[in-house]
Amino acid sequence: MKIIILNCGSSSIKFQLFDMPKRKVLAKGLVDKIGLSGSAIKIQRDTDAKENRIEGEVLDHEQGIEYLLGILISKEYGCISDLEEINAVGHRVVHGAEEFSGSVLLTKNVIKAIEKASELAPLHNPPNLKGIYAMQNLLPNIPQVGVFDTAFHQTMPEHVYLYGIPYILYEKYKVRRYGFHGTSHRYVSKKACEVLNMKYSETKIISCHLGNGASVAAIKNGKSYDTSMGMTPTEGLIMGTRTGDIDPGALLFIAEKEKTSIHYTNTLINKFSGMLGVSGVSSDMRNIETAAEQEGNKRAKTALQMFAYRVKKYIGAYAAAMNGVDILIFTGGIGENDVETRRNILSNFSYLGIELDESKMQERGKVTILSTKNSKIKVLVIPTNEELIIAEDTYKLVPK
Amino acid sequence: MSDLAEFSLGKSIKPKGSVQTLGIIGCGSVGQVITRVVAQYGMDVIFLDVSNERIKEIFEEINQQLDNVIKHWGITHSEKKLILSHIKGTTHIEDLKDCDMVIETISSRQKGTLLSLRQELFQEVESVVSKDTIISSDLSTLIISDLARGLKHPKRAIGIHFIEPIDKTNIVEVVKGRDTSDDTYEKVVRFVKTINKKPILINESPGNISTRMLIPLINEACEILMEGVASVPDIDETMKETTGYIYGPFEIADKIGLDKILKYMDNLYQEYGDKKYKASPIIKRLVRANYLGRQTKKGFYNYEQEGKPIGNTISCAIIK
Repeated sequence: MKIIILNCGSSSIKFQLFDMPKRKVLAKGLVDKIGLSGSAIKIQRDTDAKENRIEGEVLDHEQGIEYLLGILISKEYGCISDLEEINAVGHRVVHGAEEFSGSVLLTKNVIKAIEKASELAPLHNPPNLKGIYAMQNLLPNIPQVGVFDTAFHQTMPEHVYLYGIPYILYEKYKVRRYGFHGTSHRYVSKKACEVLNMKYSETKIISCHLGNGASVAAIKNGKSYDTSMGMTPTEGLIMGTRTGDIDPGALLFIAEKEKTSIHYTNTLINKFSGMLGVSGVSSDMRNIETAAEQEGNKRAKTALQMFAYRVKKYIGAYAAAMNGVDILIFTGGIGENDVETRRNILSNFSYLGIELDESKMQERGKVTILSTKNSKIKVLVIPTNEELIIAEDTYKLVPK
Repeated sequence: MSDLAEFSLGKSIKPKGSVQTLGIIGCGSVGQVITRVVAQYGMDVIFLDVSNERIKEIFEEINQQLDNVIKHWGITHSEKKLILSHIKGTTHIEDLKDCDMVIETISSRQKGTLLSLRQELFQEVESVVSKDTIISSDLSTLIISDLARGLKHPKRAIGIHFIEPIDKTNIVEVVKGRDTSDDTYEKVVRFVKTINKKPILINESPGNISTRMLIPLINEACEILMEGVASVPDIDETMKETTGYIYGPFEIADKIGLDKILKYMDNLYQEYGDKKYKASPIIKRLVRANYLGRQTKKGFYNYEQEGKPIGNTISCAIIK
């Protein structure tokens, strides 16, 4: 069964064509700069040594997807002979509000609910919907599935997801914590149990998805119990350019002093802050580490300490919240590859019974058990693969 | 190299004609803000101005404005780079040939040249652009049908009025002339929505909504001042507090430019003959003294650096 996975952003579409259940990627790439000058489609088949780039005007998502389908069946760059070979479409949908606690077939009512949830994710859901509408027009007889970033965290209990604000604001606008990166946390936590041969439904897991956007999740007996991101992805860890947790009073003070509008304050907390804001160097961990180690940049050092400290704090908090932890997972670009940051986070955890296997600490980008056999808590690196999860969910849901 | 269009399945709705390249003619203060707002949304902008020196100055001015936005956390440095990469300047009108839409924003300050100059310009633009290009004017008291009179295809002419402060105001007045086609109107509506503003449909009438409402307000504020009822800052503050306006009448007059305001007043008075549009003697006096507002650092207020008012210039016998 061939399944196409779409991750539609405001001006780009990431795609992968899977052969399921073989989990084989036949082609992947990007429709870039939709509605802008310089638009192009980049595509690489599993048989290609390098990426192909085809330029041309792409006015909207539908046109971009149409060209993409045309390319997939073309002799020059394609890997299927007919569009009828595509059996299903899987969409990444950022916000499912309180409506969706799992992936679903996209019916009329489901699409309506995603439209309604756009209010909570005005930057993300509308482009996701454009991809859905486009596929409805272009391949009307093929089932589509929505996989939500928020769905996995819908199991959080009320006392965890509510904010300490007047309850009426939750009732009126659904202001609450939703959490994101759900597909990734779900995938790596299950995978870790497979690797360790432990029962998912009886295990306490803390999963650290550390990338430019970063979040920690507490997964208790197979269900998300808490996660660090909130109503928006700005809450929680210090990220590449996002503040993470901050006293809302401090924001009011800054807005008053700097005379910033809501829009500018939003840019301030999401694009100017985090590792970039503190270090003044970059939002990229590698550049910050270079500045700290090779140039002795003090602010870069502080930023690295802050990053590791905040992750450590969440791990401690979630261990307390779940009355213990069995598995600690690192994933995402930083979690999988940044040996130093991992080491900083993992320092001084002996009180929890973590024992690290020094011979494994340098491993990057592959499934690795970082802890010793005797370690009370197993520490693992599990590379994430969100596209594959979307493909698997889609495969499971579409009628065979 | 292949072009994407070769891979069309003929299924999706064909190109609906979005504006991807915008031409700006006369890149003064208004043209500059339109240029950077449009470039910020990923469209290419080519502005036409009088000389290479002026083009260099314009880039410096836009650069400065963007730095100021960065200083207030509005955009990041890399976003600034991206915005600037979308902007080009030229002194040759032929360079506008590939534009999907051209907006003239030439100064309203030149005496007696308003209509004829713009009419000629419209025709000149029409001679270089494609048949589908929209030709537009950022007009407030002029009539788009008058400007389009000499065009071979007047259906492509439309008015588009960006309202001060352009980067903060959420609406744009889209003015349909007698001959403006629905296609032209819809294309402009899509353009306005793309830059995250709401189009307000106007059936052509001098002053549209915004200027027609603003001019009597400024005149009345001048009356209050002349009668010695209250001072410039107090009148402004009262209006801001009671209506929620971002600027008071004197502040906005200084920002738009008192010479421009005077021109609007004359045009509206000539059109409607109603006293409420007749230029206040205070405005006339200030313009004669070259107190034109922020642009000359003196208007109703004194402006020191960074355009911040440091005090009012006018006081009357009663209000000290």
